[in-house]
Amino acid sequence: MTPRLNGLLLAGGKSSRMGRDKASMVVGGDGITQAQRGADLLGKFCERTFVSLRDGQTAPEGAQGLEVLVDSPLAQGPLSGILAAFQKDPEAAWLVLACDLPFVSEQVLSDLIAHRKTNDAPPFVAFASSSDSLPEPLCAIYEPSARAVLERHAARGHFCPRHILIEEKADLIALPEGAAEALTNLNTPQDLEEAGGFPIHLSWFGHLSELRGLSDETIRTKTETAGALLHELSQRHGLDLSTTRLAVNDEFASGDQPLRPGDKIALLPPFSGG
Amino acid sequence: MSFRIHPHPIDPAPLRQELEGNEHGGLVFFEGRVRNHHEGRSVVGLHYQAYLELAEKEGRRLLEEISTKHGVRAAAIHATGDLQPGDLAVWVGAAAAHREEAFAACRELIDAIKARVPIWKRETYADGHGEWVEGCACGSQHSH
Repeated sequence: MTPRLNGLLLAGGKSSRMGRDKASMVVGGDGITQAQRGADLLGKFCERTFVSLRDGQTAPEGAQGLEVLVDSPLAQGPLSGILAAFQKDPEAAWLVLACDLPFVSEQVLSDLIAHRKTNDAPPFVAFASSSDSLPEPLCAIYEPSARAVLERHAARGHFCPRHILIEEKADLIALPEGAAEALTNLNTPQDLEEAGGFPIHLSWFGHLSELRGLSDETIRTKTETAGALLHELSQRHGLDLSTTRLAVNDEFASGDQPLRPGDKIALLPPFSGG
Repeated sequence: MSFRIHPHPIDPAPLRQELEGNEHGGLVFFEGRVRNHHEGRSVVGLHYQAYLELAEKEGRRLLEEISTKHGVRAAAIHATGDLQPGDLAVWVGAAAAHREEAFAACRELIDAIKARVPIWKRETYADGHGEWVEGCACGSQHSH
């Protein structure tokens, strides 16, 4: 019989490159935190979902309802969270998901789960990265037999799950069609800026160019209307854009105007010509 | 009827030419010049920035609206770039059969340009400091 599948949301990272807690960040237009996105996804496939945290860390917004697992002292980084999970429930398989993978979809996880084997199951079910074909250990299934393998590596000071999967010659599966970018993670504010969505060109006019620190840029957005974009930019940069109007493709735009890839957007503060 | 955005210095003579005509009994022109003071501070320079594509489009629409409304011919030109006190920043002209419509159209046009055409100014003060001038967000066509 296939072991039951528990969910493990990894939220114990220090987000040092991002400069703020990645799990609590809202990425994309749906307004939910990355932790909540991960928790919701795992909840679709797992009866029990746990959130992995550092000792003393409080659960990020969107993951407060989950059972907490504090990192094992036997390892470092994500491996300590996975080991803590096996300590909690050694008989379960664990669907492990890092909270900084905003493009993972239900389809991706169901594809992963479909590759579990009933008999003679290998310890790991993991995707190969679409960029370098290396294992993706932070959106993967760890069968109960993985525990001994991981503990053996941890005892020798090998804490990097990716290296462990490489050394163990884990069988890797290809990401489903159209989901090549699904495991792109966000480590820096730059990553966040470029995450997902479609490209648009922005021009900041008047004092806004000084506040933003530049006049022109190309960004990616998932917002669908001019009004939603204005709100997103205001949040993203901490700017008061309440008196700012938008132009789309050299024409004044109302808030409900839909946005399309490649649109040329201008941010217009109140005019002061004459 | 022309609406132009042009780097400093601007020359209104060709536009004035456009308004000439024996049917026009009244021609009214307005020149906006750079002032050496603003809200109690001494101004030594102004920088005008325009969103060229939209400014020209909106400017032409203004000319259409106002000339139709008042039955006048009208033209305007606005400078961009770095200007000093005394320099010509904006020129507006209206020509009509009688002075009444010409005055009204000229006045309305300069107010509308300030309120509706995407142009911004940045002032430089005597102490070397500079600041973008915050326009009025109300969108109505009153004078400042």
